[in-house]
Amino acid sequence: MDDSKNRLNEKKFGRRTFLKRFAQAAALSSAASATGCIGLIQNNEMLQLKWKEYFKKNYRLMTPQEKEETVERLERLAKIEKHMDIQMSSQNPINGVLFGYAFNLTRCEGFMECVTACVKENNLDRQSHTQYIRIFEMEPGGMSPETGNGKYFHEVPLDNHFYMGVQCFHCENAPCIRACPTKATWKEPDGIVVVDYDWCIGCRYCMAACPYYGRRFNWSASQVPYNEITKKQHYLGNRIRPKGTMEKCTFCVQRTRAGKLPACVEACPTGARIFGNLLDPDSEIRFVLKHKKVFRLKEDLATDPKFWYFID
Amino acid sequence: MLILFGFGMLWVTADVYTEQRNVLDQVKQSTIHRKDLNQNDFAQNLPRQAVKAEMKYQGGDFWTESRKDKVERYPCYTCHTNNPEKFKGAKEMVHGDILLDHGGADKPLSCATCHLKDNPHLFKTADTTNIDMDHSYDLCGQCHFRQKQDWIGGAHGKRVLNWAGKRVVKNCTSCHNPHSPLFQKRWPKTYSPPIDK
Amino acid sequence: MYKKYRISGEGILSFIKDIIVWDLSGGVIYQLYLCGLVLIMMFGVYAYFLQFNLGLSVTNMSDIVSWGFYIANFTFLVGVAAAAVMLILPAYVFKDKDLHKVVIIGEVVAVGALVMCMLFILVDLGNPLKAWHLIPGIGILNWPSSLLSWDIIVLNGYLALNSLIPLYIVYSHYHNRIPDKKKYVPFVFISIFWAFAIHMVTAFLYEGLPARAFWNNPLMGPRFLASAFAAGPALISVVLGVIHSFTTFKIESRVFGKLRLIIIISAIINLVMLFSEIFKEFYTPTHHSQSAIYLFFGLDGYDELVPWIWTGISMNIIGTVILILNPGRKNPLINLPASIFLFIGIWIEKGMGLIVPGLVPSPLGEIVDYAPSWVEISITLGILSFGILVVTLLVKPALIIEQQFEKQMDMAAQLIHENNS
Repeated sequence: MDDSKNRLNEKKFGRRTFLKRFAQAAALSSAASATGCIGLIQNNEMLQLKWKEYFKKNYRLMTPQEKEETVERLERLAKIEKHMDIQMSSQNPINGVLFGYAFNLTRCEGFMECVTACVKENNLDRQSHTQYIRIFEMEPGGMSPETGNGKYFHEVPLDNHFYMGVQCFHCENAPCIRACPTKATWKEPDGIVVVDYDWCIGCRYCMAACPYYGRRFNWSASQVPYNEITKKQHYLGNRIRPKGTMEKCTFCVQRTRAGKLPACVEACPTGARIFGNLLDPDSEIRFVLKHKKVFRLKEDLATDPKFWYFID
Repeated sequence: MLILFGFGMLWVTADVYTEQRNVLDQVKQSTIHRKDLNQNDFAQNLPRQAVKAEMKYQGGDFWTESRKDKVERYPCYTCHTNNPEKFKGAKEMVHGDILLDHGGADKPLSCATCHLKDNPHLFKTADTTNIDMDHSYDLCGQCHFRQKQDWIGGAHGKRVLNWAGKRVVKNCTSCHNPHSPLFQKRWPKTYSPPIDK
Repeated sequence: MYKKYRISGEGILSFIKDIIVWDLSGGVIYQLYLCGLVLIMMFGVYAYFLQFNLGLSVTNMSDIVSWGFYIANFTFLVGVAAAAVMLILPAYVFKDKDLHKVVIIGEVVAVGALVMCMLFILVDLGNPLKAWHLIPGIGILNWPSSLLSWDIIVLNGYLALNSLIPLYIVYSHYHNRIPDKKKYVPFVFISIFWAFAIHMVTAFLYEGLPARAFWNNPLMGPRFLASAFAAGPALISVVLGVIHSFTTFKIESRVFGKLRLIIIISAIINLVMLFSEIFKEFYTPTHHSQSAIYLFFGLDGYDELVPWIWTGISMNIIGTVILILNPGRKNPLINLPASIFLFIGIWIEKGMGLIVPGLVPSPLGEIVDYAPSWVEISITLGILSFGILVVTLLVKPALIIEQQFEKQMDMAAQLIHENNS
């Protein structure tokens, strides 16, 4: 098993190739600055952009124009620093939408395709293996992920076991939001709990406050191989996170606000993941709430998650 | 100081309880209908080949992924003609590759349980109504009626690409191999990292 | 000794100049001591430089144990800071003359502890350059919703109170004036309440998290106070012992006796509460007792903390029992080590023994061991030596001024006495 793990490791993350590429990129950028004039101008521009970025406001207090400006600055910085053309959006929530999520415990077979899709879509740090989703292999007789095994790696589904996916539940009454000392995390009108990565100071109090292990921290600068970066980004979503900030599942805000399904839902091969608008009585998520017996994790904590589990 | 602090805490709590609306209350009170949402926001072409389903779901018409374009040698009557014909490689082409594992040991299905002998690109139902290949849910739904209800409503199966706009869902056969519909065991695509660094 | 230190003049400039001169002059041992502290600090700065550049990944913290050694020390030191109130309260409210003489030392220890607290928070931040986001006006302080914002306010307020009051008194004494009670006594009373507030708020920081069953415990606030009022005075009596044996400032044994009483009472209350907590966790072990089981016995083969907590609790009990039984008849050679024992015991129990089990097992039941990395230990040592340096540099001039002032007052009293007779 270890062997296969290692193999997977090399194939998936290819740290060595990545490092090589990283070194090439570094050499390229230093060469660019060494060529003199152009490099100098670019460095100067970069400093100016960074200066403006450092003193910008909390995203929630920005006017639409300021949002536009910071997004442009970030795109330009990515161009200068990483020679990459990204498209960053600051799209606002859609009126009359409240996102909800349901997880079919009967259907999930533990293939973990959601996890890979999430890592890819959300530009998660490959070095520390950050994953927003955890899948627990559960023995019958218990319904708490604490009794499950989150580290399985063998042929699935294992007989007489079921699988339970856990991620950020986007609580209506989210303890993390109350905890944040700088209001760097909040609930958007469409119900998504987001983090302003540039406003977060990295105190990790929200992490301690979350009863679902829904938050992740960038312990060092996030590293994503150059050609694996998802270029369609959102300011509050999958843009490359700076070092020392909090991040979390955003229901793929860059996708869902454009009408698309989150990456995990789209990738799920068994249809165990259901996503939709809670305010739309015709939506699939409302069908599940109406016709299935659903439950939420740790309801006794009154966090009021928008993530339900159900059994066929 | 302590009293002030106490009042502060009360204030916080009061703040939380007045501002907060339970998500289920919001769901109950919502009167928005799909029609009210600005559909133009999500103007989209129907992805791949989608066919309109023969029934409606709670929100009206919906589409399913088609099946015919995924069957390699469709239409069936390219081979299944009334005249016996000889052609190369016929041996390999008589569906020898199909493993039929459907219905379990108690009630195993045979080819003729679903396929019409004379007209193999149609399926049959118990009351001998013919079913088009793109609408196989009518066939599957005869036994799996609960799954069919869930599929129409949205608790079984999944949507393709979009949560908003026109509803396009996967067909039964998009995910299940109709001849051996149980998902095969396989290795997971990744694993959770060792969390202790 | 005070002859060596002369007050050179009047006004704020000579005040500052004298303080600097006094701080820098001293015997060889004193100089070596200062140099040692500075060296440790330099190494801490180097370690922080690494952490600043590479990110917090150089620590052993992880997404599960997201708070570690820094926050553990922070929590403990808030208690030490709050404990100054155990000198201020009797000195000002009950007009205790013995404690009034050493109250300034308590206040300086509080200032040192607070400075260390702030530094521990700062080094724990992932993004220290953006700490200005916390300042209302240019940033946003999520007050009153976030308990962390309360903590920031009370800690800074307490730092202001505890540095400005003694500063005013010492500054007046420097000019041979008797400080105007109307000007500072109201603030003294505020600072008494404030001391309770800083520790309660810090306890609420943890207590207010239903996500962490180990912390979500209404006894935490009171127990924080009890342990602080045992550990703080224990530290202060050690500091007093050091001052007594290394300087000309002599501390009467009555002071140690009174501090011992305070320590004993607090330590007993602390142990009673500890017993109550342990009873609750182990009489009916529920899912919520997992953290306590991890702490005391280890869970699934993870038992990094087990030897620590048993050492901590043993030291705590041994220290308390020695102080209660008082076998050495107030002999400082027995009572001071007992105080140190108690201090270290509480440090373990209220530092690592409180923070880490709150986070392990994770809310999803996953267990990770945690021990600080060398970077964390170096930075922590650096901050601790900075705190000790601050205390030294503040206590020394304060004591010189106090001694001179006392001398002046005695002379004046003698003059009056002679005139009268």
